[in-house]
Amino acid sequence: MSSPAAPGPRSALATTAALQSALAAEHAAVYGYGIVGANLTGNRQAAAMTDWVAHQVARDTLEAMLRSRGAQPVAAAAAYRLPVTVRTGAQAVSLAVFLEDRVATAYLGLVAVSDISVRQFGALQVRAAALRGAAWRGSTVAFPGLTASSLAAPRPRS
Amino acid sequence: MAAYPTRRVALAAAVTLPLAAVSGCGSVSVLAAPPRPAPDVALLRSAIAAEQLLIARYVNVLRGAGNPGGATSAARRGDAADLTAVLEPMLAEHRAHLAQLRSRLVVPANASPSPSERAPAAPAAPADPGAAAAYLRAGEQAASAAMLDRLPHAPASLAQLFASISASEATHVPVLDAVIRSTGRTAR
Repeated sequence: MSSPAAPGPRSALATTAALQSALAAEHAAVYGYGIVGANLTGNRQAAAMTDWVAHQVARDTLEAMLRSRGAQPVAAAAAYRLPVTVRTGAQAVSLAVFLEDRVATAYLGLVAVSDISVRQFGALQVRAAALRGAAWRGSTVAFPGLTASSLAAPRPRS
Repeated sequence: MAAYPTRRVALAAAVTLPLAAVSGCGSVSVLAAPPRPAPDVALLRSAIAAEQLLIARYVNVLRGAGNPGGATSAARRGDAADLTAVLEPMLAEHRAHLAQLRSRLVVPANASPSPSERAPAAPAAPADPGAAAAYLRAGEQAASAAMLDRLPHAPASLAQLFASISASEATHVPVLDAVIRSTGRTAR
């Protein structure tokens, strides 16, 4: 249907699942920013600390949202496999960009649920992740959080 | 006396009118009334119009920067060149937004184009680079906020596209803030 479905048991389950995915991405970001910050100095380290705190706040908010829905928030993993080896400042910045892209994608999952307040929260978090990502990247992108496959032109049906 | 011919005419009309209706627009009557556009068509059209308006603002500014009328000092021409280098990538992103929005628009082939499909006119751009950046910043902020306002009414995949475009537009604001700062103006 073209309009969002009325909240029901199935959409409540979908909302909880999307919140858990966003929380898992935030757990990974909190872990990852610890490594980002450890490999930066000066202003860039201060920026990493600011973003690290922002992800901790978002994590706590998501946990509260899940608990208010009667769900048990997913726990953080003890460690995460990083997509890049981080030994230099440039590698640390690449990791920060990667983390923000992942977080933005996870929050776009919240934008797809039928609960309008969760949608709006998700959209604001996509924006926050896009702003942080653009600051680390040093440039902007056209579609923060969207994957190439979701942007592929729909094939005309005949 | 006059009643009979009149009744014959009336009967003839009753017989021929349905025939005329069938032969005159038979192909249309098979399909009945054209389908009414889905609610997301209206949302997409307003999003497309907003994106076109933003593109028009960028085009207005870049036209001014490419031809800085009355800008006699080298510094002023340098500012204009810097502004072009900053604005071109953001304009390209808006064109990508517009293309993506248009690709989601599915309307009946014979539907008349809505007024929003014609390029809207943007207000004239200021010639000064700092003021021009402020003019674009205002456009970006308005477009980003309006895109979020469309979320509650959009189907899921369209809501995700709107949220992503809104976020992209929000990231243009700090870039324009930096231009405003470098030209010695305060953001309003």
